[in-house]
Amino acid sequence: MIARAASIDRWRRLFVIVGAILVAYALLAPITSLDAAQSANVPLLADRLWFRIATIIAMFVVMATAWNIIGGITGYAAFGNVAFFGIGAYTTGMLVAKAKWPFLVALPLAPVVAAAFAALVGLPLLRLRGHYFAVASLGVGVAVGELVQNIDYNGQPVFGGASGLFLPIFAIDNRGLFFFYLMVAVAAVAIAVTWRVLRSRFGYGLIAIRENEEAAAVLGVNTTAYKVAAFALAAALTGLAGGIFSQWNVFINQDNAFPIEYNVQMILMALLGGTGTVFGPAAGAVLLQLLIQFLGGSLPISVDIPFVSVDARPIVAQVILGVLLVVVVIFVPRGVIDFFGGSSRLSWSYLRQSLRETSL
Amino acid sequence: MNEAAAPQLELHGVTKRFGGVAAVDSVTFQIAKGEIVGIIGPNGAGKTTLLNCISGVHRLDGGDIKWEGVSIAGMPSYRIAKLGIGRTFQIVRPFGSMTVRENAAVGALFGNASGRRAPRAAFELADQVLELVGLKAKASLPVSALTIPDRKRLEVARAVAARPHLLLLDEVMAGLNNVEIDEALDMVRAVHATGVTVLLIEHVMRVIIGVCRRAIVLEGGHVLAQGEPEVVLRDERVIQAYLGERFAKRLKS
Repeated sequence: MIARAASIDRWRRLFVIVGAILVAYALLAPITSLDAAQSANVPLLADRLWFRIATIIAMFVVMATAWNIIGGITGYAAFGNVAFFGIGAYTTGMLVAKAKWPFLVALPLAPVVAAAFAALVGLPLLRLRGHYFAVASLGVGVAVGELVQNIDYNGQPVFGGASGLFLPIFAIDNRGLFFFYLMVAVAAVAIAVTWRVLRSRFGYGLIAIRENEEAAAVLGVNTTAYKVAAFALAAALTGLAGGIFSQWNVFINQDNAFPIEYNVQMILMALLGGTGTVFGPAAGAVLLQLLIQFLGGSLPISVDIPFVSVDARPIVAQVILGVLLVVVVIFVPRGVIDFFGGSSRLSWSYLRQSLRETSL
Repeated sequence: MNEAAAPQLELHGVTKRFGGVAAVDSVTFQIAKGEIVGIIGPNGAGKTTLLNCISGVHRLDGGDIKWEGVSIAGMPSYRIAKLGIGRTFQIVRPFGSMTVRENAAVGALFGNASGRRAPRAAFELADQVLELVGLKAKASLPVSALTIPDRKRLEVARAVAARPHLLLLDEVMAGLNNVEIDEALDMVRAVHATGVTVLLIEHVMRVIIGVCRRAIVLEGGHVLAQGEPEVVLRDERVIQAYLGERFAKRLKS
């Protein structure tokens, strides 16, 4: 028994070491593409396509980690967080494209506007519980995207309308690299914020709300203020990612700033990795986004999916994601990060216990 | 002005209706600082509803509740808790994902606004409170590992860690056996000894007689009688309310 626990412990250590090496590689490899590195004959470890994907992964780390604050820690399953991503994108996009603000001045306003919007809609929405909140937040997510595309003033679309919004290119050397590290920095901030929250009075208040809102209230937790604050914090981080996305992508429209599938993806990432934990949503985001890119055929390593043409792969990817969501909810309710929590996690009894906990 | 004699909690004509039914109907009584008062009454008498009114879980439909002279009617629960009124729930409501120690620490992190603690100090207070209620040895266990009596203790510990001036206990002894009741009684006495006013709902008469110096009998939402427990429990109307008219007569003869 002890020998088995020790061997599992070894496995866990191995996973952590391998994971750390992979993260270090992903973070450092793009540097080899710098002109200076190339002229010094450093072997190219990552081409530009790869760190475009890596930037997307970092973006999802931010969104899944931010969703975790309201959905995982506070227990309010927000299904419309993509609204904050889009609001952040359009805030920065409008300021850069129309008001001609410098990007780095316009960027800080993305989280501010997203958080203000979250506080505004959060006050009524967070009075709802369970699926009522989930459905209402989904409605807000869809509605904001439609509004942004369709608001006209004097017959002119205010936010670029159906043809979208073009931003002037941000003039900086190694632009791809800059946006990659900017997104990674925001991801690190999101994880650090989660870590800090979970150790604070604020975090204990949020968990208390998740576990029993009425008990939290009679202990003196201002539940309304706490829920709205958690929602706004999640919105701020998501909006920041959106703000970076708008300048990085140079073009935004309803389709790429308010993609409804992001709502499901960020939740699935948090669930897969482990809701309510510090690193779970980030781990889930990396795993799932790699899978999405792999299934979509945009990774350097690729295999043919039998009977599926290249064109149909994104659709098949969606189907596989759907199946994965079901499998994750049933079999790993506490997320893959939970495997690193104890000595008996890689066993049948753990699986049986998980199944018992999630079934009625 | 004699500050000490002024009541800490005053209920004046407190009324709560659910649809057409008045679960609590113009209830008036006062509690002085440092008292330990029991509320008894048959099922459906409105005991828990009354507690819900005091702790802000329910909005009043009539009357007023004053805490240290200031009306708290209509205040949200969290503000009432911040004033120093703590409570437990009859059906325990632990924070399931937390350890026993963390549950108690939430009380210490929040609760009474004068002296909210930072996390480190909150955990220290949580340890002290867990010792007081006899859960120290189980501090690091998850709530799911606790027995029912221990969960009731935890419910009290969490409320006590919030450092209330007034503690409302809703049937913390229901479902416990005799030995466990004795332990729970000691626990309530220990909490009271730290200077906390206690208002407790209880079905077990032994508890009321054992710790309360005053009992309030509720029936059908009204105050039926109040006074010393031994006297109140011999009151004919009280016996009738509990056992029905025939038994009351038989008991007399």
